[in-house]
Amino acid sequence: MTLAIILVIAAALALVVILRVTLSRSLQISGDASLAGQIQPIDIEAFRNLVDPDENAFLRRRLSAEAFRAVQRERLYAMAAYVRTVGRNADVLIRISQSALNSSDARTVDAARQLVDQALLLRRNVIFALARIYAALAWPTSGLAAGSLLDSYERMSGSAMLLGRLQNPTAPVRISAS
Amino acid sequence: MLQAHSPLWHYLWLAPHILQVALAVLIWRRGLHKLFPVFLAYSIFEAVEEFTLYGLDVVPWVKDETFWKAFWVGLIGEGLLKFALTGELFRHLVQPWPAVAKIGNQLITCAGVVLVLVAALTAALTVPANPNWLISGAHALQQSMYVVESGLILFIVLFAAHFRLAWNRQTFGIALGLGILSCEHLAGWAIIASGILGDKSELIDFFNMATYHLCVLIWSYYLLVPQKAVDKPILPPPDNNLGVWNRELERFLQR
Repeated sequence: MTLAIILVIAAALALVVILRVTLSRSLQISGDASLAGQIQPIDIEAFRNLVDPDENAFLRRRLSAEAFRAVQRERLYAMAAYVRTVGRNADVLIRISQSALNSSDARTVDAARQLVDQALLLRRNVIFALARIYAALAWPTSGLAAGSLLDSYERMSGSAMLLGRLQNPTAPVRISAS
Repeated sequence: MLQAHSPLWHYLWLAPHILQVALAVLIWRRGLHKLFPVFLAYSIFEAVEEFTLYGLDVVPWVKDETFWKAFWVGLIGEGLLKFALTGELFRHLVQPWPAVAKIGNQLITCAGVVLVLVAALTAALTVPANPNWLISGAHALQQSMYVVESGLILFIVLFAAHFRLAWNRQTFGIALGLGILSCEHLAGWAIIASGILGDKSELIDFFNMATYHLCVLIWSYYLLVPQKAVDKPILPPPDNNLGVWNRELERFLQR
């Protein structure tokens, strides 16, 4: 009887989640003009500095072990904030480029498709990068390499730029600062 | 009204499957079978299975044992087709996007393995409500099947939501119907398998059949009614700084 109750509750929760997610997605207006304003520029140089292994080695040499752990923890929190922002930007770009997939211009559709694929790859990498950063928070002295994430982000930015050019040659795109 | 062999009972058992046969014919005529071959196979199999079971149930000289043996055979076939259908839906969702197709396939495989283990555990923990193993075993198998099925559909929906994957209309409709069906049937078969309701478990049969009817209507709507043409605005790109981007990319390329 207890098992039946657990299964009924689980089924009800699953149904609520399925209905909520599917219906909210189907009601979503893909062409929401406020989407572009949700993109937060990211200082790539600052992020690159945070993930630079030489910078890590330098801090390790100059600081005591305790101070290094504290600093490294702060750097990891900052890194996680950057990565989350990168993920949110990728999310917004997916939504923007999905509206561009309906364009009548084949080049715009190709650019949008490429951008969506790269943004999806980035969303995937964000999950791994965040997992790695949170794992490193437990052991701040371990080495971290989020370089591949940075490369993905830059490739995606290039695609966003191309899509922007194709859709509106006079209005270029910016999704990072510096 | 809510009794076995009442007019409503006959209607709810037969009508969704008659509709499903009509749906299968229209799917074939419109060429949708090339896109959804497993869904077509599932629709035909489900209709044949249920007509057979209905016949076995209403014909007085058929033994209970024969009915339940046929039920087992249908259940196993239906289960395999439903898992194949889940795979078909997932393939439609991720196939256009190679960036997430591989990880998606790996994750859904892992989710499937975990769900099979959970289903086996729930089956092992279910106390048989009926002394006849043919009946109690079928109930436990239904329950286990829907644990896996609803879990997989939930996984697909959450995966699509996380990656903002766009559903096409037909895939969305099939997934929505299958999601509602599997969650409701999981709850229903869990109650039947536990025997909580005793003699009143027929009420759950009505609920299951009505839900199935609703799901066939959902599938018919999404597969047969064309989407309204809506002019979706193509957004201008976010505001600008190409010069900065160019400098950044050049610096990146020169490293």
